[in-house]
Amino acid sequence: MKHLLSMSVVFLSAAFLTAVPGYISAGDKYQEMINCNLHQGACTQNLSGSMITLAVTPRPVRAMQDLLFQVTFSGKLPPNAKLPYIDLGMPGMKMGPNRVKLKSAGNVTYEGRGVIVKCPSGRRTWRATVTVPDFGEADFIFDVIY
Amino acid sequence: MLSTETLYLLYLSTGFTVGFGHCIGMCGPIVVAFSLNLKEKNILFPQLLYHLGRITTYTLLGGVVAAAGSFTMVAAHLERLQKGVMVFAGALIVLMGLAMAGWLPIGRIFRNHSSPGRWISKGFGRLLKVKSTIVYLPLGLLLGLLPCGPVYTALLGSARAGMEMHSVYHGTLAGMGLMGAFGMGTAPALFLVARLAGVGWLKSRAIIYKAGAVLMIVAGLIFIVRAVRFYGM
Repeated sequence: MKHLLSMSVVFLSAAFLTAVPGYISAGDKYQEMINCNLHQGACTQNLSGSMITLAVTPRPVRAMQDLLFQVTFSGKLPPNAKLPYIDLGMPGMKMGPNRVKLKSAGNVTYEGRGVIVKCPSGRRTWRATVTVPDFGEADFIFDVIY
Repeated sequence: MLSTETLYLLYLSTGFTVGFGHCIGMCGPIVVAFSLNLKEKNILFPQLLYHLGRITTYTLLGGVVAAAGSFTMVAAHLERLQKGVMVFAGALIVLMGLAMAGWLPIGRIFRNHSSPGRWISKGFGRLLKVKSTIVYLPLGLLLGLLPCGPVYTALLGSARAGMEMHSVYHGTLAGMGLMGAFGMGTAPALFLVARLAGVGWLKSRAIIYKAGAVLMIVAGLIFIVRAVRFYGM
């Protein structure tokens, strides 16, 4: 009887605790950081007086598939600006370095291929930091589909 | 492009950083479960075997993605297997917790089965009773397949590094080497967690030991729930 009671407490606690992640993810604080919806189109940020636009295809943006990242600049950039690049990561979680190298695809457009990996925690909020060396960087925070 | 030596150092240090920042949360319950399950036995050799198995799996995966030249293609093929591994890991931890707490009569359940699944129950029984230390090597090989964001990221980099080599052979070797370095980097954090879980005061206090068993059961159930949510039914 004592064992049955102990086991019942354990399993009820376990059932509660396994349900908690669902509640936590619903109110995920990183959701509040989202400043971009890449599923619907390109997003634009201000970068030291220039405007920088990020587009990811195919849409909707899914994890674990090959994606094309396009970055377009409008406004002033240094004349000898180095090639920009994108660092992909999750806010608040170290995932290791995941850099998308960009190549020129026109006057002010750069593109490169990369992958957003899946996180078993269930969190779907990712950050793409677009960096122009010696000029600045812009953060795009968005949700992906798993 | 970074030199190969620099890349290896980068992957080793990334594994080390990620180990303390991420692996402890994901794989911590597994190494704690193993450590507590070993009771009075020395945990060093079993942990070494487990990590050797895990790092071997990472190394092989690194070779595969580098040879294939594509992380996404390999990952797509592995998905179903990884779900199974995650459910297995969760079930194993739950069973270990139940056995440790004395709530699961191991001898009765995993003995003298004449059903077709006899080898499975025999294997589980052997593991739960820790008859053989060598079992931690195949466990590490299998659990190295657990889905993990940082491992995916490292594999992605290995695939890219492999593609930049001048031959498939060199690319494969590079992929294997990078993932091996990454895996080695993750080991210290998990060794530390296993060591802390195996301290004498934890094992000698029955109530704390039982609390550890309860936490293992909860952690194992979370693994299973995540496997279902992560991959869907």
